[in-house]
Amino acid sequence: MKEHEDKYMTEHNDHEIRDALKRSFPPVNTELRRDLWPEVLRKLDARQVVVPWYDWALVGLSAVMFLAFPRLVLVFAYHL
Amino acid sequence: MDLLQRFTHGEIDAFETLVRQFQGDIYAWIVRIVRDPGTAEDLTVETLWRVYRARHQFRPDGNFGAWARRIATNLAIDHLRRSRPEHSFPAEPAGVPQPDPLVQRETQARIQQAFRRLPVKLQVAATLALIEELPYDEIASALGTSVGAVKLRVFRAVRILRKRLSHSGITPE
Repeated sequence: MKEHEDKYMTEHNDHEIRDALKRSFPPVNTELRRDLWPEVLRKLDARQVVVPWYDWALVGLSAVMFLAFPRLVLVFAYHL
Repeated sequence: MDLLQRFTHGEIDAFETLVRQFQGDIYAWIVRIVRDPGTAEDLTVETLWRVYRARHQFRPDGNFGAWARRIATNLAIDHLRRSRPEHSFPAEPAGVPQPDPLVQRETQARIQQAFRRLPVKLQVAATLALIEELPYDEIASALGTSVGAVKLRVFRAVRILRKRLSHSGITPE
Protein backbone atom coordinates (compact mmCIF):
# COMPACT_ATOMS: atom_id res chain seq x y z
CA MET A 1 0.00 0.00 0.00
CA LYS A 2 2.81 2.36 1.00
CA GLU A 3 4.71 1.54 -2.22
CA HIS A 4 1.58 2.25 -4.24
CA GLU A 5 1.17 5.63 -2.53
CA ASP A 6 4.84 6.49 -3.09
CA LYS A 7 4.55 5.58 -6.77
CA TYR A 8 1.40 7.69 -7.08
CA MET A 9 3.12 10.68 -5.42
CA THR A 10 6.21 10.34 -7.67
CA GLU A 11 4.07 10.24 -10.82
CA HIS A 12 2.03 13.16 -9.54
CA ASN A 13 5.21 15.18 -8.90
CA ASP A 14 6.56 14.25 -12.37
CA HIS A 15 3.38 15.59 -13.95
CA GLU A 16 3.75 18.80 -11.96
CA ILE A 17 7.35 19.23 -13.11
CA ARG A 18 6.35 18.44 -16.70
CA ASP A 19 3.52 20.99 -16.62
CA ALA A 20 5.79 23.62 -15.05
CA LEU A 21 8.41 23.01 -17.76
CA LYS A 22 5.84 23.20 -20.54
CA ARG A 23 4.63 26.54 -19.18
CA SER A 24 8.18 27.86 -18.81
CA PHE A 25 9.31 26.72 -22.28
CA PRO A 26 6.68 27.72 -24.82
CA PRO A 27 6.51 25.66 -28.04
CA VAL A 28 9.12 26.59 -30.67
CA ASN A 29 8.35 26.99 -34.36
CA THR A 30 10.00 24.01 -36.02
CA GLU A 31 9.47 25.25 -39.59
CA LEU A 32 12.70 26.14 -41.39
CA ARG A 33 12.36 29.74 -42.65
CA ARG A 34 14.83 29.56 -45.56
CA ASP A 35 16.80 27.23 -47.76
CA LEU A 36 20.19 26.56 -46.15
CA TRP A 37 21.83 24.95 -49.20
CA PRO A 38 23.58 28.18 -50.41
CA GLU A 39 25.13 28.60 -46.96
CA VAL A 40 26.21 24.93 -46.81
CA LEU A 41 27.80 25.29 -50.25
CA ARG A 42 29.63 28.48 -49.18
CA LYS A 43 30.93 26.68 -46.11
CA LEU A 44 32.11 23.72 -48.18
CA ASP A 45 33.94 26.04 -50.60
CA ALA A 46 35.46 28.10 -47.80
CA ARG A 47 36.79 25.06 -45.96
CA GLN A 48 38.17 23.55 -49.18
CA VAL A 49 40.48 26.51 -49.92
CA VAL A 50 42.03 26.53 -46.44
CA VAL A 51 45.81 26.08 -46.84
CA PRO A 52 47.18 23.48 -44.41
CA TRP A 53 49.80 24.60 -41.89
CA TYR A 54 52.56 22.50 -43.44
CA ASP A 55 52.18 24.35 -46.75
CA TRP A 56 52.69 27.63 -44.94
CA ALA A 57 55.70 26.10 -43.14
CA LEU A 58 57.18 25.11 -46.52
CA VAL A 59 56.69 28.63 -47.88
CA GLY A 60 58.33 30.10 -44.76
CA LEU A 61 61.24 27.68 -44.94
CA SER A 62 61.80 28.48 -48.65
CA ALA A 63 61.78 32.23 -47.90
CA VAL A 64 64.37 31.78 -45.15
CA MET A 65 66.55 29.65 -47.46
CA PHE A 66 66.38 32.24 -50.25
CA LEU A 67 67.30 35.04 -47.82
CA ALA A 68 70.18 33.07 -46.32
CA PHE A 69 71.45 31.68 -49.65
CA PRO A 70 70.33 34.04 -52.47
CA ARG A 71 72.12 31.94 -55.11
CA LEU A 72 69.58 29.17 -54.51
CA VAL A 73 67.14 31.28 -56.56
CA LEU A 74 69.30 30.63 -59.63
CA VAL A 75 69.41 26.87 -58.90
CA PHE A 76 65.65 26.84 -58.50
CA ALA A 77 65.10 28.88 -61.66
CA TYR A 78 67.37 26.47 -63.57
CA HIS A 79 65.29 23.47 -62.48
CA LEU A 80 61.92 25.07 -63.21
CA MET B 1 24.06 4.11 -58.67
CA ASP B 2 21.49 5.36 -56.16
CA LEU B 3 21.46 8.70 -54.35
CA LEU B 4 23.14 7.57 -51.13
CA GLN B 5 25.92 5.76 -53.01
CA ARG B 6 26.56 8.85 -55.12
CA PHE B 7 26.68 10.90 -51.90
CA THR B 8 29.28 8.61 -50.33
CA HIS B 9 31.36 9.01 -53.51
CA GLY B 10 31.32 12.77 -52.94
CA GLU B 11 28.95 13.82 -55.75
CA ILE B 12 27.84 17.33 -54.86
CA ASP B 13 24.55 17.03 -56.79
CA ALA B 14 23.55 14.02 -54.72
CA PHE B 15 24.46 15.88 -51.53
CA GLU B 16 22.38 18.88 -52.62
CA THR B 17 19.37 16.62 -53.12
CA LEU B 18 19.85 15.15 -49.64
CA VAL B 19 20.26 18.60 -48.08
CA ARG B 20 17.02 19.83 -49.63
CA GLN B 21 15.27 16.65 -48.50
CA PHE B 22 16.54 16.59 -44.89
CA GLN B 23 17.41 20.19 -43.88
CA GLY B 24 13.91 20.79 -42.49
CA ASP B 25 13.99 17.65 -40.32
CA ILE B 26 17.47 18.41 -39.01
CA TYR B 27 16.53 22.02 -38.22
CA ALA B 28 13.30 20.94 -36.46
CA TRP B 29 15.26 18.50 -34.31
CA ILE B 30 17.97 21.01 -33.36
CA VAL B 31 15.56 23.87 -32.61
CA ARG B 32 13.66 21.60 -30.20
CA ILE B 33 16.90 21.12 -28.26
CA VAL B 34 18.47 24.61 -28.38
CA ARG B 35 15.14 26.53 -28.59
CA ASP B 36 16.59 29.41 -30.60
CA PRO B 37 15.89 29.67 -34.37
CA GLY B 38 19.09 31.56 -35.29
CA THR B 39 21.34 29.17 -33.39
CA ALA B 40 19.43 26.20 -34.83
CA GLU B 41 20.03 27.46 -38.40
CA ASP B 42 23.77 27.84 -37.76
CA LEU B 43 23.95 24.38 -36.20
CA THR B 44 21.99 22.89 -39.11
CA VAL B 45 24.53 24.31 -41.59
CA GLU B 46 27.39 22.97 -39.43
CA THR B 47 25.65 19.57 -39.21
CA LEU B 48 25.26 19.36 -43.00
CA TRP B 49 28.89 20.34 -43.50
CA ARG B 50 29.99 17.62 -41.07
CA VAL B 51 27.69 15.13 -42.77
CA TYR B 52 29.45 15.79 -46.08
CA ARG B 53 32.86 15.61 -44.47
CA ALA B 54 32.01 12.26 -42.82
CA ARG B 55 30.38 10.80 -45.97
CA HIS B 56 32.95 7.98 -46.17
CA GLN B 57 31.79 6.67 -42.77
CA PHE B 58 28.18 6.34 -43.95
CA ARG B 59 26.98 2.99 -45.30
CA PRO B 60 24.70 3.52 -48.33
CA ASP B 61 22.25 0.90 -46.99
CA GLY B 62 21.93 2.81 -43.69
CA ASN B 63 19.35 5.36 -42.52
CA PHE B 64 20.64 8.77 -43.64
CA GLY B 65 18.07 10.72 -41.59
CA ALA B 66 18.91 8.92 -38.34
CA TRP B 67 22.65 9.29 -38.96
CA ALA B 68 22.36 13.03 -39.67
CA ARG B 69 20.13 13.47 -36.61
CA ARG B 70 22.76 11.87 -34.37
CA ILE B 71 25.43 14.26 -35.70
CA ALA B 72 22.98 17.15 -35.13
CA THR B 73 22.29 16.02 -31.56
CA ASN B 74 26.00 15.89 -30.73
CA LEU B 75 26.48 19.40 -32.11
CA ALA B 76 23.48 20.72 -30.17
CA ILE B 77 24.83 19.13 -26.96
CA ASP B 78 28.25 20.75 -27.57
CA HIS B 79 26.52 24.09 -28.11
CA LEU B 80 24.57 23.79 -24.83
CA ARG B 81 27.76 22.87 -22.99
CA ARG B 82 29.48 26.03 -24.30
CA SER B 83 26.57 28.34 -23.47
CA ARG B 84 25.73 27.22 -19.95
CA PRO B 85 24.50 29.88 -17.47
CA GLU B 86 27.21 30.73 -14.97
CA HIS B 87 25.27 32.10 -12.03
CA SER B 88 22.82 30.39 -9.72
CA PHE B 89 19.73 32.18 -8.43
CA PRO B 90 19.15 33.24 -4.82
CA ALA B 91 16.86 31.21 -2.57
CA GLU B 92 13.44 32.52 -1.63
CA PRO B 93 11.33 31.73 1.42
CA ALA B 94 9.35 28.52 0.77
CA GLY B 95 5.61 28.40 0.24
CA VAL B 96 5.11 31.97 -0.99
CA PRO B 97 1.81 32.23 -2.94
CA GLN B 98 2.27 33.53 -6.53
CA PRO B 99 -0.99 34.92 -7.92
CA ASP B 100 0.67 37.96 -9.53
CA PRO B 101 1.43 37.45 -13.28
CA LEU B 102 4.72 39.30 -12.84
CA VAL B 103 5.73 36.90 -10.07
CA GLN B 104 4.61 33.97 -12.21
CA ARG B 105 6.79 35.20 -15.07
CA GLU B 106 9.73 35.45 -12.73
CA THR B 107 9.01 31.95 -11.44
CA GLN B 108 9.02 30.66 -15.02
CA ALA B 109 12.34 32.43 -15.64
CA ARG B 110 13.75 30.74 -12.54
CA ILE B 111 12.48 27.35 -13.69
CA GLN B 112 14.14 27.95 -17.09
CA GLN B 113 17.37 28.92 -15.36
CA ALA B 114 17.28 25.86 -13.08
CA PHE B 115 16.57 23.64 -16.09
CA ARG B 116 19.48 25.08 -18.09
CA ARG B 117 21.83 24.40 -15.19
CA LEU B 118 21.12 20.67 -15.32
CA PRO B 119 23.92 18.45 -16.70
CA VAL B 120 23.57 18.81 -20.48
CA LYS B 121 22.80 15.15 -21.23
CA LEU B 122 20.00 15.17 -18.65
CA GLN B 123 18.73 18.51 -19.95
CA VAL B 124 18.52 17.27 -23.54
CA ALA B 125 16.76 14.02 -22.59
CA ALA B 126 14.28 15.93 -20.40
CA THR B 127 13.67 18.58 -23.10
CA LEU B 128 12.81 15.98 -25.71
CA ALA B 129 10.82 13.70 -23.37
CA LEU B 130 8.99 16.15 -21.11
CA ILE B 131 8.69 19.42 -23.06
CA GLU B 132 8.50 18.03 -26.60
CA GLU B 133 6.90 14.73 -25.52
CA LEU B 134 8.72 12.73 -28.19
CA PRO B 135 8.78 8.93 -28.07
CA TYR B 136 11.59 7.48 -25.95
CA ASP B 137 12.85 5.22 -28.75
CA GLU B 138 13.23 8.21 -31.08
CA ILE B 139 15.19 10.09 -28.40
CA ALA B 140 17.35 7.04 -27.67
CA SER B 141 18.21 6.64 -31.35
CA ALA B 142 19.26 10.29 -31.69
CA LEU B 143 21.33 10.17 -28.50
CA GLY B 144 22.94 6.88 -29.51
CA THR B 145 21.83 5.14 -26.32
CA SER B 146 19.12 2.79 -25.01
CA VAL B 147 15.53 3.61 -24.05
CA GLY B 148 16.34 2.61 -20.46
CA ALA B 149 19.25 5.08 -20.35
CA VAL B 150 16.98 7.88 -21.63
CA LYS B 151 14.35 7.07 -18.96
CA LEU B 152 17.06 7.14 -16.31
CA ARG B 153 18.31 10.53 -17.53
CA VAL B 154 14.79 11.96 -17.44
CA PHE B 155 14.22 10.54 -13.96
CA ARG B 156 17.47 12.07 -12.70
CA ALA B 157 16.69 15.40 -14.36
CA VAL B 158 13.26 15.56 -12.66
CA ARG B 159 14.74 14.62 -9.30
CA ILE B 160 17.50 17.26 -9.48
CA LEU B 161 15.11 19.91 -10.77
CA ARG B 162 12.54 19.22 -8.06
CA LYS B 163 15.25 19.43 -5.40
CA ARG B 164 16.69 22.69 -6.73
CA LEU B 165 13.29 24.34 -7.16
CA SER B 166 12.20 23.27 -3.72
CA HIS B 167 15.46 24.67 -2.30
CA SER B 168 14.67 28.00 -4.00
CA GLY B 169 11.15 28.08 -2.63
CA ILE B 170 9.49 27.36 -5.99
CA THR B 171 6.66 24.84 -5.97
CA PRO B 172 5.48 23.73 -9.43
CA GLU B 173 1.68 23.98 -9.57
